[in-house]
Amino acid sequence: MSKDLDDDMFVCRCEEVTVREIRQAIAEGARDVVGIKRRTRAGMGLCQGRTCEKMVQQILSQELGISPEETGTSSARPPVKPVDFGTLAKGVQ
Amino acid sequence: MVNKEIVVVGAGPAGLAAAIEAAKAGGEVLVADLNILPGGQLFKQIHKFFGSSAHRSGTRGIEIGRQLLAEAEKYGVEIWLNSAVIGLYDDRVVSIEKGLNSGEKELINIKAEKIILATGASENVVRFKGWTLPGVMGAGAAQTMINVNRVKPGNKVVMLGSGNVGLIVSYQLMQAGCDVVALVEAAPNIGGYGVHASKIRRAGVPVYTRHTIIEAKGTDRVKEVIIAELDDSWQPIAGTEKVLEADVVTLAAGLKPISDLARLHDLEMVYNGVFGGWVPKHDENMESTQSGIYVAGDTTGVEEANTALEEGRLAGIAAAESLGYIAEKDAKERKDDTWKRLDGLRMGPFGEKRMYAKNEILACFPARS
Amino acid sequence: MALEQNGYITREELASFNQIISEERFKKGPVAIIECIQQIPCNPCESACVRKAIRIGEPITSLPVLNEDRCTGCGVCIARCPGLAIFVIDKTFSDAEATVAFPYEYTPLPQKDETVDAVDRTGRVVCKGKVMKVLNPESFDRTPVVTLAIPTEYADEVRSMKRRRDR
Repeated sequence: MSKDLDDDMFVCRCEEVTVREIRQAIAEGARDVVGIKRRTRAGMGLCQGRTCEKMVQQILSQELGISPEETGTSSARPPVKPVDFGTLAKGVQ
Repeated sequence: MVNKEIVVVGAGPAGLAAAIEAAKAGGEVLVADLNILPGGQLFKQIHKFFGSSAHRSGTRGIEIGRQLLAEAEKYGVEIWLNSAVIGLYDDRVVSIEKGLNSGEKELINIKAEKIILATGASENVVRFKGWTLPGVMGAGAAQTMINVNRVKPGNKVVMLGSGNVGLIVSYQLMQAGCDVVALVEAAPNIGGYGVHASKIRRAGVPVYTRHTIIEAKGTDRVKEVIIAELDDSWQPIAGTEKVLEADVVTLAAGLKPISDLARLHDLEMVYNGVFGGWVPKHDENMESTQSGIYVAGDTTGVEEANTALEEGRLAGIAAAESLGYIAEKDAKERKDDTWKRLDGLRMGPFGEKRMYAKNEILACFPARS
Repeated sequence: MALEQNGYITREELASFNQIISEERFKKGPVAIIECIQQIPCNPCESACVRKAIRIGEPITSLPVLNEDRCTGCGVCIARCPGLAIFVIDKTFSDAEATVAFPYEYTPLPQKDETVDAVDRTGRVVCKGKVMKVLNPESFDRTPVVTLAIPTEYADEVRSMKRRRDR
């Protein structure tokens, strides 16, 4: 797909990050999923990258000519699912 | 902190099968699942399964789900629903946000002797202009809508992807009363079983191989879908665009294993393209590089419900054996039988690449210190 | 393979896998037609047949082989095939007509004696068909089997009926 057609498309819909912003992050030096995440917030929304991570990996691998494996994956941190503050506030049994 | 012998994460086919085997042997088993109903994806599989007739093939997925639940109940498996596992900490501490009958939730940390991760997989998305419009969804999501929630996602569907998921969900969308106006596949060949493709061809679904979706158009939801033919380097050929009237686009572009809990407990991972991405390394007992933590089903590589069931059995037997509930000789026999059935499911032109992939994963397993 | 490119089997493909029934056998009455040419791990058809007319054996990915002489065309295998790839054809039905029995998992089901559009493997309407039977016993586990009478010349082509949208 031609680049200009592609540019305004959302990649991370939770944080509304476009293809253009991902490409810009790569131009600024991002080399993996974590680098993109830190620069653009892609993957930091409600779904925690469940939807966009693969697309971010694809763009990285296309732009940099690297394998999907080399684009890495985001770091896992608890809670891996959203938790209500109310539930958290009650403490852990 | 509560103590449990075995905690299984995920009540799909792999998790339930693991729980049943371990509980049958005498183990104390808790299964936690974030959904309101157990069964994982089984209860939306309204088609008859392939496989060996010795092994429930020809039975519909929903029926297999019912049988598994009945067995789990019979052997005293405790199942917590609406209960997400939110963390996995050192030395096998499982943090669960338990759903209570009151509708409230509470956080409970459980120290488990054995953990079996059967968290399944999530759907891949494909981006094209308009992919965020309402009406564009995963094929699995559409399948949940029609078969579990009994809601039609729309009337005219364009399906992207011709693997078994794309073919089966196309068929089921028609059974639910939708029309599938096109099955679009970028590759030159249909990816899934010919018999599944034949079902939807007989029903009049046009198949566009070497095509892709260029754009989904509409203001507040999908109204039109533009597809185009691809050249040998997978680029759309100008002038080949077709405009299809459709209000739903379903994406069947493969799945990727859900591995966040595995990574939280530092299970060693390996990338495997055939299996959909990063998967935990494991041995023939389905035990990961972290002693006492087992993995089974799509978490270890995207396959199908039958293979998930068998891998779950392996993990359940191995976990029960290591707790002393099954004698070594007996366990070996049962595991060998299970591996034989797994080998059968990974044969033939469709299965053998998964057999090689699984062997690669087994081969890269480091000796446990 | 045409099946992989187009999603339907051609007669040439069936012939290359020896899945064409001889005309001599057709003269003797109804017989099962198995259109299964890919090695997938599946064998319920084998145990479905009480006369042991369908053989898969080991490994489970072997293609089914029909013993024409043992098959009576009873049709029990039709609903047991998860791939919906078995049909029963009777070319002796009448002088000018044959019957084709096929699995049909859509609602609304056709009614006996109704006239419907008979379609080929590509979904194209090739002729009209008269509904002779609609079987849907519990043992078929919600895979109804519809039998259509059609002109004999279309017996090798008709594999289903046009899905109806009247609801």
